Amino acid sequence: MVYSTFKFGIPVVLTAGALLSVSSIGLSTKANASAPECAPAAAEMMDTVKYKKDPPFRIGFANAAKGDGWLVTFFHTVEHSAQKHADKLDKFIITDANGDPTKQISDIQDLMNQDIDLLLVNPATADALDPIVGRVMRRGIPVVSAARRVKTDDNFVSFATASDTSLACHSATWLAEHLEGKGKIVLLPGKAGASPAETRLNTAKEIFAKFPDIEIIDVQYTGWSPANGKSIMSAILQRHGKDIDGVWADSGLQGSGSVEAFLNAGFKSEDVPPHTGGDLNRMYLLALEHGFPFIGVDYTPAIGGSAVDLAIDILEGKPVPKSFVVPAPIVVSEGHNTKTIKGTVALKDYAATNQPGDYIMGHGIGNDYDSKSFTANYPN
Amino acid sequence: MSGLTFRIKRTEPAIMMVIALTLLIIIIGFFVNERFGTIRNFLNLFEQMAPLGFLALGQTFAVLVGGIDLSIGAVVTASNVLLAGTVSGNDAMMMPALILVLAFGAAFGFMNGWITVATGVHPLIVTLGTASVLQGLVLLYTLQPTGSVPFWFEEFAYGRVFGFPISGFVMLLCFLAVGLFLKYSQTGRAVYAVGGNPEAARLNGIRNNRITILAYAASGFFAALAGAYFVSRTGVGDPRVGDPYTLASITPVIVGGCLLGGGRGRITGVLLGVFMISLLNNLLNYINISTFIQWVIQGLIIIIAVAVYVDRRKKP
Repeated sequence: MVYSTFKFGIPVVLTAGALLSVSSIGLSTKANASAPECAPAAAEMMDTVKYKKDPPFRIGFANAAKGDGWLVTFFHTVEHSAQKHADKLDKFIITDANGDPTKQISDIQDLMNQDIDLLLVNPATADALDPIVGRVMRRGIPVVSAARRVKTDDNFVSFATASDTSLACHSATWLAEHLEGKGKIVLLPGKAGASPAETRLNTAKEIFAKFPDIEIIDVQYTGWSPANGKSIMSAILQRHGKDIDGVWADSGLQGSGSVEAFLNAGFKSEDVPPHTGGDLNRMYLLALEHGFPFIGVDYTPAIGGSAVDLAIDILEGKPVPKSFVVPAPIVVSEGHNTKTIKGTVALKDYAATNQPGDYIMGHGIGNDYDSKSFTANYPN
Repeated sequence: MSGLTFRIKRTEPAIMMVIALTLLIIIIGFFVNERFGTIRNFLNLFEQMAPLGFLALGQTFAVLVGGIDLSIGAVVTASNVLLAGTVSGNDAMMMPALILVLAFGAAFGFMNGWITVATGVHPLIVTLGTASVLQGLVLLYTLQPTGSVPFWFEEFAYGRVFGFPISGFVMLLCFLAVGLFLKYSQTGRAVYAVGGNPEAARLNGIRNNRITILAYAASGFFAALAGAYFVSRTGVGDPRVGDPYTLASITPVIVGGCLLGGGRGRITGVLLGVFMISLLNNLLNYINISTFIQWVIQGLIIIIAVAVYVDRRKKP
């Protein structure tokens, strides 16, 4: 059972990926060891014999959106995995809801009308898709949820995720410990109302609440946009000047914009305060170039590919985990490990210096992956 | 009789264009996917087009009086969150909350209309402003999906009577009621008069301000109905659910032949516009091509529809 084949573009991570791909559920290898309090819970295994069918399979994929670089890469990992399993597929039908949950419900109805054997869904919101996905399950069609799960446990067979809680727990704990439990920080969450952003923000706030001398001086949603991250941090700098001891961003998408705002405001490299945030190569490149204290934990888009792997396993009647947390390495800048958060990959090894800044990390598609030219062949 | 002939001449090209495009979509659908032409798909389609139908009906009122309602998306969202939040799984609260929400929608629309006539500010600005206020209030109330409704309320969105979707049936009833109201009632005809020539309407004893306020109240009511429908479909109140629907509500109204300046347009055309847009979305799911193509095609259709209208007006 191979749920993930990570190739982060560097030998060290390739090795880690190989280790991971043969490991079992709850993955906790040396290369991706979570801090104990941040580790995801062990998953229950699901019996899928009742869903077993003879190939070729017809799978419907109700995608939420392709509205940013992460989502595009996620989508490509799905297509890449569909191509990998092309010999077992009759059709791999894709719909796209453009971020609108009500359209996604209609998309799922249209997929059901095309006699799919399994529904793969990346829910636009966790709650809104619950009723329709429940209806799909009650019609005997298994559901695999990717990136976000739906609300009710019985409404999906398996769920591939990268754990927002774990990501935020690692980055917030690291920042608090790096500041030795004292300082003024700014929080830059993603998109207001989006469940990953809210989950990460709430987790981070819970962590910071454990450190009474950490003062949150501003919280600004950024929509996961580098441009917003930059303009918002520029405005915050106008108000607070050099009074900022740390910046917690739930992703490097806006985190990179924040770093650029500090540099544009005349901060020297060594004066840029510690930052958090993975996903975007630009963030890793900035941390490498300027040497400020940094932790990056990707919300790996490889979960899309893992979800397709799970889908195939279900249709082949193999047991699958109820929740499969695709692990991501913890990248800490040199010399900045803290008491409980240790980097599992060195920043200099992880940053993709041969790739552009907008390159999304952790896709697992291969070194030569280019989101602009990527194509995949599968029956559709 | 000559007036009727004149009206048919003026209106038919827009409707004929919609019918022609709809037939084209259906023919393409039959060729590209054997599942497209099934009864099940068309029944699904009637279910799926209900919210756009409600919203287009509301927007039609605003457009017919020569305005536009850009608060529709925010009213959808607020009604959606208000309904799910008020009920929160309490069966007994379902019907009172539903009535409350529909009344809220109408009252909000009423306020839009009142501000428009009282200040003389263009409704585009007024409704843009009130939308922003309302959306902000909703996000202050909740950032995440909230509340819940009893399981039986899902039947509004998913239920079938003799195989026909309840929501589609309710939508068709609304179109019929509004169509009859606009055509046969004095107030309905006044809606056209106010939008077509406000000064002439005033000289004919029509209270323009009242009619305008009524039109916006109707728009708010139908937006709230769509908000309730979305609660039924998703089971929760979502503080972002209405985002795409403000502009979406305008498309079928334009495509269906309503003049943006007001005073002209047929409910039949709007219904056909809703059907065509919904059918197009549906077809693209069967063709398995990018959703962005849908935007391109919708944009082209709007331009073509308006071009047909403009061309028509230039002729004597």
